[in-house]
Amino acid sequence: MIQHFATELRKLLPYRTFWLFLLLYMGLLLLIIFSASHVQINNQAVGANLYVFPDIWATLTYIASNFNLLLGILFISLITDEYAFRTIRQQVIDGLFRADIIMNKFWVVLFIGALCSLYVFSLGLSFGLQHTPTVTLAKVLSGSMHVVYYLVQALGYMSIAVFFAFLIRRNGLAIIAYLVYTKIIEPLIHWQVPDELDKYFPMKVFSSLTPMPGREVFEAITGPSVQLSPQQAVVPALAYIILFYLLSYLLLKMRDL
Amino acid sequence: MNNILEIHNLSKRYPGVQALDKLNLAVEAGSTFGLLGPNGSGKTTTLGIVLDVLKASEGSFSWFGQPLSRNTKRRIGAILETPNFYPYLSAAQNLKIVADIKGVDHAGIDPVLETVGLRARRQSLFKEFSLGMKQRLALGSALLGNPEVLVLDEPTNGLDPEGIAEVRELIRKVAGQGKTIIMASHLLDEVQKVCTHMAVLQKGKLKVSGRVDTILNQHDQVIISTGSLEKAFVYLQQIPQVKQIRKENNELVLSLADGFSSADVNQVLFSQGIVLSQLTVRKKSLESQFLDIIRDQTTPTV
Repeated sequence: MIQHFATELRKLLPYRTFWLFLLLYMGLLLLIIFSASHVQINNQAVGANLYVFPDIWATLTYIASNFNLLLGILFISLITDEYAFRTIRQQVIDGLFRADIIMNKFWVVLFIGALCSLYVFSLGLSFGLQHTPTVTLAKVLSGSMHVVYYLVQALGYMSIAVFFAFLIRRNGLAIIAYLVYTKIIEPLIHWQVPDELDKYFPMKVFSSLTPMPGREVFEAITGPSVQLSPQQAVVPALAYIILFYLLSYLLLKMRDL
Repeated sequence: MNNILEIHNLSKRYPGVQALDKLNLAVEAGSTFGLLGPNGSGKTTTLGIVLDVLKASEGSFSWFGQPLSRNTKRRIGAILETPNFYPYLSAAQNLKIVADIKGVDHAGIDPVLETVGLRARRQSLFKEFSLGMKQRLALGSALLGNPEVLVLDEPTNGLDPEGIAEVRELIRKVAGQGKTIIMASHLLDEVQKVCTHMAVLQKGKLKVSGRVDTILNQHDQVIISTGSLEKAFVYLQQIPQVKQIRKENNELVLSLADGFSSADVNQVLFSQGIVLSQLTVRKKSLESQFLDIIRDQTTPTV
């Protein structure tokens, strides 16, 4: 397993697209958080409210959740490239089995998910320490569970991307299908289906993991929307993640390479 | 008998096409086995199935008398169709990935690069390689870990004459080390030059299989002239030694049944009182032999 992961890193680290997306993710996230912390509302910096412990964790993970699609697209490129280069085929010839291929991609998903969550965590620490007047360890850690919810969410976004990559196998088409499903088809379904049911749909489950901060105020005007709490969403999210790898495996097993 | 690969009743159907139809084949240890057939005859399909990348519709196969496993895969070095590597990685980086997957120490990489003449280009990116170099890298990759069996699909395809000669030389060298080689080719000339055994496929069906020398020698033609042409023609049509006969100008052109030679024909005709004025054995060109094998619907499938 460690050997397989090391082999995956040999492919990943010299891959320019990986660094491009990682830089894009980290840079954009930093830029948004940094500039938002300087926004003034009623002569008061927004950061003063949103970037204090423990609220900052919810704020930060909500902002980070908007960049998950980048991670998904990165994985679609990684996997569809293996089809384009036919290296996936060669590796099955050379000794891997289809289950290995899926597991190897899962380790890379876990690796990048952990990397990004760690980044979000360190951003939270540094911005929180800047904006919180009195810092105690308990205060710092009390909301940090949100980073774990964020990790599960990032894994979810990447896992559904892995599924689309194995389903469609072509870079451009897979990215389009991924974006169309996550941004158009599922929201349309949510609109048509009663809230009691749609809260269990995958993208809704994933987004429930990082609810919008201050949603309560918003909902006082628009009426409550039915959504799982982050705690409730963890188990269905993990179930979806497993399901997407299982489906990817079945696709790989059923079809010729 | 010690068979490296055994294939039983293997079939592969694509929508509208029977790519492979109940193929039975055995490859002996130590042989250089040529899988010959025109494009689209099922060679790559056969190799794809036994290499685990294509799903058989029916039938089974075994390597070293065992079902496919991680262990059997490691004993085989194979290239299917094109050389498949990461274009953005160097030759050495690409081979490290292959070595990892095959469970081979990285120390084995430089020697195979040396063997295929790419040692000096080990740090060059794969995408900068010419087709010949890519092909050689693929061959080097297949040789990693010193496998017992090499499976090569059209190994000289797209190479210039010098490259073709090099690759064939390399194959002979490897075969000389006692390894079993299974190669697909659409060139009879190549199979005849390199292989000890062959199987001919057409439209997914096995036409013939066996030793190259037996298959290629049994299709020589015998041409005879005699004063009593008509009498000879009638008589020769009745005897079992003659498989086919036709009149051509003032000559008779015969194909003999397996195991008979021109001397046998001469003898039976003489015993009938027919004296030959001329008897010639015409070695057929490889291409016409190949076409005969493919056309001859009566050739028994083995």
